[in-house]
Amino acid sequence: METLTALGRGFASAVTLPHLAWALAGTTLGTAVGVLPGIGPALTVAVLLPITFSLDPTSAFIMFGGIYYGAMYGGSTTSILINSPGETASIVTAIDGHMMARKGRGAAALTTAAIGSFVAGTLATIALTFFAPPLAAVALRFGPAEYFGLTMLAFTTVAALLGNSVVRGLLSLFLGLSLGLVGIDQLTGDARFSFGIPQLMDGIDVMILVIGLFAVGETLYQAWRHGRDEEHIITIHDFTGMSREDWSRSWRPWLRGTAIGFPLGVLPCGGSVIPTFVSYMLEKRLSKHPEEFGHGAIEGVAGPEAANNAAAAGVLVPLLTLGLPSSATAAVMLTAFQQYGLQPGPLLFSSRPDLVWTLIASLYIGNVMLLVLNLPLASVWARVMLVPRNLLFGGILVLASVGAYSLNRSVLDLVLLYTVGAVGCTMRVFDIPLVPAVLGLILGPLSEQQFRRAVAISGGDLSVFVTRPICATLLVLACAVLAGPYLLRRWLPEAAAT
Amino acid sequence: MPRPSAALAALLLFALTPAPAAADPVYQHLRLIAPAAPGGGWDQTARVMQQALQSAGIVHTSSVENIPGAAGTIGLARFVTAERGTGDVAMMSGLIMLGAIVTHRSALTLHDVTPVARLLGEYEVIVVPAASPFRTLADLIRTFKERPESISWGGGSAGGTEQILAGLIADAVGVNPRLVNYIAFSGGGELRPSVLGGQVSVGLDGLAGFQPYIDAGTVRALAISSATRLPYLDAPTLREQGIDVDLENWRCVLAPPGVSTADLHRLEGAVKTMVESAPWREALERYHWNDRYLGADAFSTFLESEEARVIAILKKLGTGGDNAPTGPYPVLVLAGLAIFGLVAARGLLRGRSRAAAASGAPTSETIVAWKAIALIAIGITVDVLLVERGGFVIASTALFWATARAFDPRHPARDAIFAVAVSVGAYLLFARVLQLPLPAGVLAGWI
Repeated sequence: METLTALGRGFASAVTLPHLAWALAGTTLGTAVGVLPGIGPALTVAVLLPITFSLDPTSAFIMFGGIYYGAMYGGSTTSILINSPGETASIVTAIDGHMMARKGRGAAALTTAAIGSFVAGTLATIALTFFAPPLAAVALRFGPAEYFGLTMLAFTTVAALLGNSVVRGLLSLFLGLSLGLVGIDQLTGDARFSFGIPQLMDGIDVMILVIGLFAVGETLYQAWRHGRDEEHIITIHDFTGMSREDWSRSWRPWLRGTAIGFPLGVLPCGGSVIPTFVSYMLEKRLSKHPEEFGHGAIEGVAGPEAANNAAAAGVLVPLLTLGLPSSATAAVMLTAFQQYGLQPGPLLFSSRPDLVWTLIASLYIGNVMLLVLNLPLASVWARVMLVPRNLLFGGILVLASVGAYSLNRSVLDLVLLYTVGAVGCTMRVFDIPLVPAVLGLILGPLSEQQFRRAVAISGGDLSVFVTRPICATLLVLACAVLAGPYLLRRWLPEAAAT
Repeated sequence: MPRPSAALAALLLFALTPAPAAADPVYQHLRLIAPAAPGGGWDQTARVMQQALQSAGIVHTSSVENIPGAAGTIGLARFVTAERGTGDVAMMSGLIMLGAIVTHRSALTLHDVTPVARLLGEYEVIVVPAASPFRTLADLIRTFKERPESISWGGGSAGGTEQILAGLIADAVGVNPRLVNYIAFSGGGELRPSVLGGQVSVGLDGLAGFQPYIDAGTVRALAISSATRLPYLDAPTLREQGIDVDLENWRCVLAPPGVSTADLHRLEGAVKTMVESAPWREALERYHWNDRYLGADAFSTFLESEEARVIAILKKLGTGGDNAPTGPYPVLVLAGLAIFGLVAARGLLRGRSRAAAASGAPTSETIVAWKAIALIAIGITVDVLLVERGGFVIASTALFWATARAFDPRHPARDAIFAVAVSVGAYLLFARVLQLPLPAGVLAGWI
């Protein structure tokens, strides 16, 4: 009840003209940076910080919240249309979303992504409103051992991403894991596989791998196939959006994606990428048509897109209640809070309730704005597919080079980007799936580090992984996900046959 | 998005700010480099500097560029190579970078840059979660002496200030510093949940990082690394509790190598004016930073002695490599890559020989495909070679044009127009609107 009155006051303050204007500015800008590969919300908020010094903190944070949510909406657009994810959280979307676009159903894919993002964003913001403090308390019970268990569970999702051949899928995964070895070992400070090149000391940026494999690799591959067969060129131009069947196949994935994304977002581990993988695997397992996955299943877009937006809201839980940033954007927002002399954390809700509740209220409003902004845009964006292909691919390479260069302002990153692009093209030619490599690069270093940290804390005792209940549960769950389908097939042959 | 009340607020702010000491700004534009991701200590310092320099009228405008990674040593490498001799750029640095240079055995050191000024110092606080059995530092040290490995010390990156402090404490109480079970986190943001949740026994961080949690009672401060008690913190010093250690994490400003004496004096003067300005004073108070200003000469001397001290401590701690095995994980991963690579290659070769037997000689389509790939490869090579020398616009135009030609050679003129338009448009959008530094190159004066 108390929460509702506070939220009501928040809405009263958010629905003033200036605050609405800032929310609109933030969501529009956020959508734009989400679309651009390599330019993320963290960078955008950091760039805007000095400009917002003259604003009151509430207006600034309304805009930052809008940018953050908006980037999650925009990230899917390039994934679906040109197979080059704008954000890491939209990698999974590219698999089925881009296949849908090739079949002329780009508008339907964009629509389910937008509505799924809205549903997830709104439900997750409701959860943020009412359950933030208890959720944050649960998140604190996760230590390195639990995070290791979580990464193991996330690794099992690779089973859904292997593509046509298990061997080639695992080759891709190990390629990603190997790339993850490069850089300074955080626990000892030793440089590994960096060959004395300073830029490699921090490892290979996931964004370089994503832009290289997808955007550059796709361009090279299309050039390679150019003049051979024209089957991949879209002949149907249907910009109508979702059919009745699309709706009935989308709403469950939206809700499941939210249920996965929000709690995983609250945990300070991996941000909004891991939930998208988990959601994709779950949808493939639950689907009546698992064979459609990888060839344009709408569930493969609806679930992950809902999951990444729900996770984005989840990240705000530890930020607002404990002052703990669990993603790059949250870290920048924390700096912004501090520059205004505010300290997010246990005392913020009591010291500045006006600011917190106006921010939360404007997240609801921002979500509505994003839906209104993105729904009509879906059919407009879908027409990008009509741009002459040679100009489209020229533009993609230029944008990819901006994204890679601006990460560290280093020409070496450009060299890496194009090398990875050549590898990506080769992988396509030999039918090696790309996504397991990205999964390996994200999860490999994370799981190694958490494993060794957990063992170090326990003084070398490996039993921590089974004696800590949450960790043990996660590991058992991971085994069940891997072995489950085989066991089911063995025990219930008739059920598997249907 | 113009907004009357914001404009009014800005105007009010302007009117209330004391008139700048210098009528003309020292710099039209000063670039500040934070060799860390947004959100960390160097980023914070750079942004406070930006705010203070601008509002005190010392610079007309100023920008912060983040070059994150490897405890600042990646930023250092970039600064030394790409900014050599540049007069209007400064980088944040400090004790943590000094430790990282030793730990990572970096080829570049702070001898490769030009010291400008030491800015500030920050004390380290030693905390435990509220539910911890350790009520006082004496409780902690008693257990630590009995079973050193049972106490996990959580702190920032390996070789940084926190690990140095943990080692100094161990040494002072008679425990071999190499037995300290130090758990490195990539920064305060990643460390704090582990301390609040009781995952590590002890947390070490700058005071500003833990102050709100100490105030809220979720963590307990056992000691502060200052020499004397602080007025704003209810915690005894290490000295008071019989441990003869005090340590202050300091941050500083550096100029690139090879700057002229005039440029160095100009930067030093600007920083000196800034540290006396009101916005800087307010920031010091807000973050509990200590004013530790030293001018270029005094700072250079300090840097010499500090470097010798850090090397000696870290040698004692045994960081920096040789005795730290990284475990079997890399070997496993590389073995997996080799095995699956071989199996996949064998499968592909079989399929290939069957296909080759069926098709025969290369067709004209294959030749077209190789031509297209070769054209894009040329575009990419030109892009890599020219992006910093010739500038982004020229490099991107070449890249776009070559790619477009690879797909469709029929409209060279139309493609060229689009190539120029897209490159200039992208440059204006990213470099001007989004303020991402893209190299302007030879067209610098034109766009």
